[in-house]
Amino acid sequence: MAEKIKLYDDAKCTACRGCQLACKQWNALKAGQTKQWGSYQNPPTLQPNNYMIIHFQDVKDDKGGVKWLFRKEACMHCTDAACVTVCPSGALYYNKEFGTVGLNRDLCIGCKNCTAACPFEVPKYDATTDKVYKCDMCESRLANNMTPACVKACPTGALSWGDKEAQLKKAAARAKELGGSATIYGDKYVGGTHLMYVLSEKPATYAGVQIDPSVPLSITLWKGFLKPVSLLAAGGILVGSFLHYLIHGPKLPDDAGDAGKKEGGE
Amino acid sequence: MTMRPGMIQATDAFERIVHWTMAISCIILFITGLGMMFHSLNFIGTIMGGLKSLKYVHNWTALIFGFSLIFAISMWWKEAGVIEMPDDLEWIKCAGGYLWHVDNPPESGKYNPGQKMFFIAVALCGPMMVVTGLLMMFQILPVGLTRWMYTLHAVGFVTLFAFFFVHVYLGTIGNPGSLQAMTTGWVTRGWAKKQHPKWLREMEEHGTLVVYGEEKKGAPGGHH
Repeated sequence: MAEKIKLYDDAKCTACRGCQLACKQWNALKAGQTKQWGSYQNPPTLQPNNYMIIHFQDVKDDKGGVKWLFRKEACMHCTDAACVTVCPSGALYYNKEFGTVGLNRDLCIGCKNCTAACPFEVPKYDATTDKVYKCDMCESRLANNMTPACVKACPTGALSWGDKEAQLKKAAARAKELGGSATIYGDKYVGGTHLMYVLSEKPATYAGVQIDPSVPLSITLWKGFLKPVSLLAAGGILVGSFLHYLIHGPKLPDDAGDAGKKEGGE
Repeated sequence: MTMRPGMIQATDAFERIVHWTMAISCIILFITGLGMMFHSLNFIGTIMGGLKSLKYVHNWTALIFGFSLIFAISMWWKEAGVIEMPDDLEWIKCAGGYLWHVDNPPESGKYNPGQKMFFIAVALCGPMMVVTGLLMMFQILPVGLTRWMYTLHAVGFVTLFAFFFVHVYLGTIGNPGSLQAMTTGWVTRGWAKKQHPKWLREMEEHGTLVVYGEEKKGAPGGHH
């Protein structure tokens, strides 16, 4: 297994959105109608027919001017993925070769467990198909030794795909090169994500970035604790009832012997 | 299992219909829920034509369960939903004589505190299952809250699933003669005297006792 990650370097991103288009094209996703909402960020959010977007954000720079801040939002492909944990049908799964999170839509039953569980709120439910949609890191391309479509389309090198170790080294060097508050995002959360960022600013500066994301406690309690407890408790009751019957015995009417004969052994 | 002269009416037909509607829908919900909870039980969905069909069976059965709950709670809460002090506390202290030998366990009314606790568990967890289930289906709450609906749904399942087996055991082989209270509705006088002496005495005093083969003296012993 060669664990691989996709690295997004926002300082190199020009927000050309070639990646968005390549994603739509490879995954054969239809365009949706959107409204002008005062931003180049379009579509404004992830949607069932929209596995990734580039965020557009205006921030003040040191000199009192305004500068762009871009960010690619897509499935982060967690190592410890809450969506895989909660998926009842096995539709969501770990790609054994790369460690990414795949989605077999034939198995998806549209239960929406994953849309609630994902700490990044990535999977999107489509009511018309009753199924869930998200980036699968172009698994069909990876299987054929190709890079994800978004990486292939990127003209500036903001997106890259490669072995995790090498990518992490590259990210660390790049963060150092950028200096200031530049940092790597994704290596420390949910067991390490398979989409990582080199952010040129502090994570909190970026709109919609999850600060210190983790598998939600509610999900861990549900799947890690209550799920096994449900079987243990019921099993304990069954064993307990059996032992109760053997040791304590059933509760019979006082005239059971007499009544038993008359009433056919009740 | 049959009715004979001298037997006592414990439940009326409406109570029994509500009970079994709730019981059967609850069991279907258990089975389909387990089919979604454990990958190893996904085959339950295959029987139903796929896991997606199983999802629909689960969601629609919940509707039947929800309606039966409304009837169950509204007709039983007065009899089974109120813990009476201090009598019930005495019963709880000695577990009604169920777990160790008690010479004279406190006399039970129509429902003993154990049965009341089961009713209260269903009356609390049942609606919680319906509400959390709906909020899992229609995720109208902020996602941070929606996540806890799953946890609560699981808490309700743990509680109901465990109580279910206690209920089945105590309603059948654990207390011979009890099951017919929910099948034919008629129990023997000996059973009533042993299991619910206070209830029997009260009905005799109030003239509400309905004895099989005798003319009705008053209203049936079940709910109005």
